Formats: sequence, C-alpha cells, structure tokens
Amino acid sequence: MERSARTRLLEAAYACIGRYGLGKTTVEDVAREAGVSRATVYRHFPGGRDELLREVIAWETTRFFLRLAEAVAGIRDFADLLEEALLYAHEAVESHAVLQQVLATEPERLLPTLTVESARICGHVAEFLTPYLEAAPRRCPGVEPGQAADYVARMFLSWIGAPGRWDLTDRAQVRALVRTEFLAGILLLDDETKRGLPSH
Amino acid sequence: MQVMVDRAPPGPPAADDRVVAAALRCIARWGLAKTTVDDVAREAGVGRATLYRLFPGGRDALLEAVVRHEVERLGHRLGAAAATAVTLEDVVVAWFAEAAELVADHPALQFLLAHEPESVLPQLAFGRLDALLERAAALGGPLLERWIDQPEDRARAVEWMARVLLSYTLAPSPDVDVRDRESLRRFARAFIIPGLTRSSA
Repeated sequence: MERSARTRLLEAAYACIGRYGLGKTTVEDVAREAGVSRATVYRHFPGGRDELLREVIAWETTRFFLRLAEAVAGIRDFADLLEEALLYAHEAVESHAVLQQVLATEPERLLPTLTVESARICGHVAEFLTPYLEAAPRRCPGVEPGQAADYVARMFLSWIGAPGRWDLTDRAQVRALVRTEFLAGILLLDDETKRGLPSH
Repeated sequence: MQVMVDRAPPGPPAADDRVVAAALRCIARWGLAKTTVDDVAREAGVGRATLYRLFPGGRDALLEAVVRHEVERLGHRLGAAAATAVTLEDVVVAWFAEAAELVADHPALQFLLAHEPESVLPQLAFGRLDALLERAAALGGPLLERWIDQPEDRARAVEWMARVLLSYTLAPSPDVDVRDRESLRRFARAFIIPGLTRSSA
C-alpha cells in the first residue's frame, strides 16, 4: 500500500529532527526533505511548524507503542507480559537515537508535548491491558480490571521513562518489580511465580 | 555578614523568606519567564541591592532558593505526617494527601503547569526524574524507619510513592480523588500496601 502524503511528511519531519533537532527544524527543511512545496506541508498541517512537530511526536510515540505491542504479542500470562514489556521498552527507550538526542539537547521542547501524549498513551496501554486482567485466573478479590489496568499503565510509563533505582536490563530485577510494585495488590502470586529468574 | 544582619529580627519572617514568598506570588501572577528580579524586589518591598545581597547570583540563585524552600516545606509536612501516623497505611495515605494538597493549593506551580509547562515538566521525566526520585528516597526513607526495617526497602517504597503521586496529580484519574483521604485509603489498600508489606516482609 502506498504511504499517504501525510505519512511521508511525518517521516520527512522525523528525519529532519534527527538531523537538526526540534528547535531548528523548519517547514522549509521538511518540504525539501519530502520533495514537496511548503504549500503542500501547510495543506496537511495548517498550523505549520508547531502542529507538524506536535504531530511527529504523537506519531512516533504511537509507533513506539505499536512496536512494543508486537514484541509482547502472544504472551498470555499477565505478569510475564509486563516483564517482557518492561525489558523491551526500557531497551527501546535507551536505544532510541532521536529521543536520546532530543532529551540530551532540548528536553524543554519535547517534554510538554510528550507529557500530553503520555496521558493519551496511558489510556491506550490501560485498554490494551484490561482484557489480560479480565482473563487473569488469580485476580485478588475486589480488584476491578479497568481500574487495575489504569494503575499498571501509569506505573509502566513511569518506569520506562525513569528506571530510578532499578536495573531494567536485569530480568530478575524486572521480575521482582512486576511482582511487587506492579502486581502485589492485583494478582495472587505464589512462591513459585514470585521467584526471580536468573538474569541473562 | 550582611545576610546575618538582615536575618537578625526574630519576629517577622526573615528577609530571604519574604523574598522567596514574593517570588512565588510573582510567578503565580505572571509566570516564570516574565518575572524579573526587579518585580520580586518590589513585591517583597526590598531594594534591588538587598535582593542581590541575599541571593548572590541574582535570578538563578533566587529561583534555586524558591525550589529549595518549597521542597523543605513539603519535607516538613511529610515529616509531621509520619510522626503522627500509627500504621504504614496511615503514612502512605497522609503523604499522598499532603503532597496532593500542596500541589493543588500552590498557585505558582499551577500557573506554570497550565501556562509554562516547559519550565516544569522536563524536571519530571527521564533522567531528571531519576534524580528527583533519588532525592525523594533520601529525604523520605528515614521517615519510614518505624515500619520498614531495611534502608533499601525504605528507599524503594518512597521512590514508588513518589511515582504514584506524580502520576495521579499530573494526570488525575476518575478512580482516585487525591483530595479525599477515604478515596486515597481505598487506593492505597488496593495497590500499594500489599506491595509494601510484601517487599518488606
């Protein structure tokens, strides 16, 4: 399927941000990168530069979480799913060249928009998680799946943004984190499932 | 030494406290970008020279002092709440309530979140959030000594609570009313207390 003109512009803008940063990318740069006129950019993004940059951040954030969903597809157990998702997402944040570059040089241009995005994404993550919780066989009594999913989504986003004192490359630590801070009040986890796996 | 002279009168608030309070009022009114040292001096009723004597370095030093002052204020409230708490659950609920109240009733912070988010939000994400969490753990950890034995478990607990607080105050949830202690207690019982008792068991 042919990519839409809008997607091509977003890709072009993303490439420009990688090269020049958020502050220095102009509508002209994006038009040149995409091989279109400035008028074409404005037709798709009437708000110009600000709208374009906002939309690129939203677009890449969505792509990030789609890649994450794909990485954990097929895992049935809720605790295992969170464990894999945290390991994957932490690594993906760390190795995301454009994100890391912007965070190092111009975080004040990214974070207000990313915070708005993260509120939207949090809702999507919770929606994604709710069916797993509904199907979870050992839910703690009184736990409402939608509410629990919202809590878990918030914690998930908090930890992938800032691991704090946790080493999220260490599977045993991630496993312990998921079984306490994330799920202690949500799932009944027996000793067998609480035991950490060796790190790899 | 000049600073000591300014601080001398015991009755009214010290000059630097008055200047910090004035800076907070200016920020609440105009935001951070538009607040100048002159505005703050005028609001505090002190001369420009006095302000520079109190905060050598001027605007940056003043803003640092404002942040330090507000963090200390939060620290005092959390300390007082921990001192009167009986159970770990009491502390968790009281801390959530105190911090949420401080944020909600903080006109300067509310102005910045609404109009100049770029001045606040970068402090609350990624690397700077890591630093903030570490500071919170260092400040709050010792206050949990009565309930949690191991220093590492205490630091973990505080870091976790700080994350929860940030999330639920910056992006309110329909499930939890952070201004209502009963709602906070239900929330803490459901999601936090089981993990605290499990990790410290």
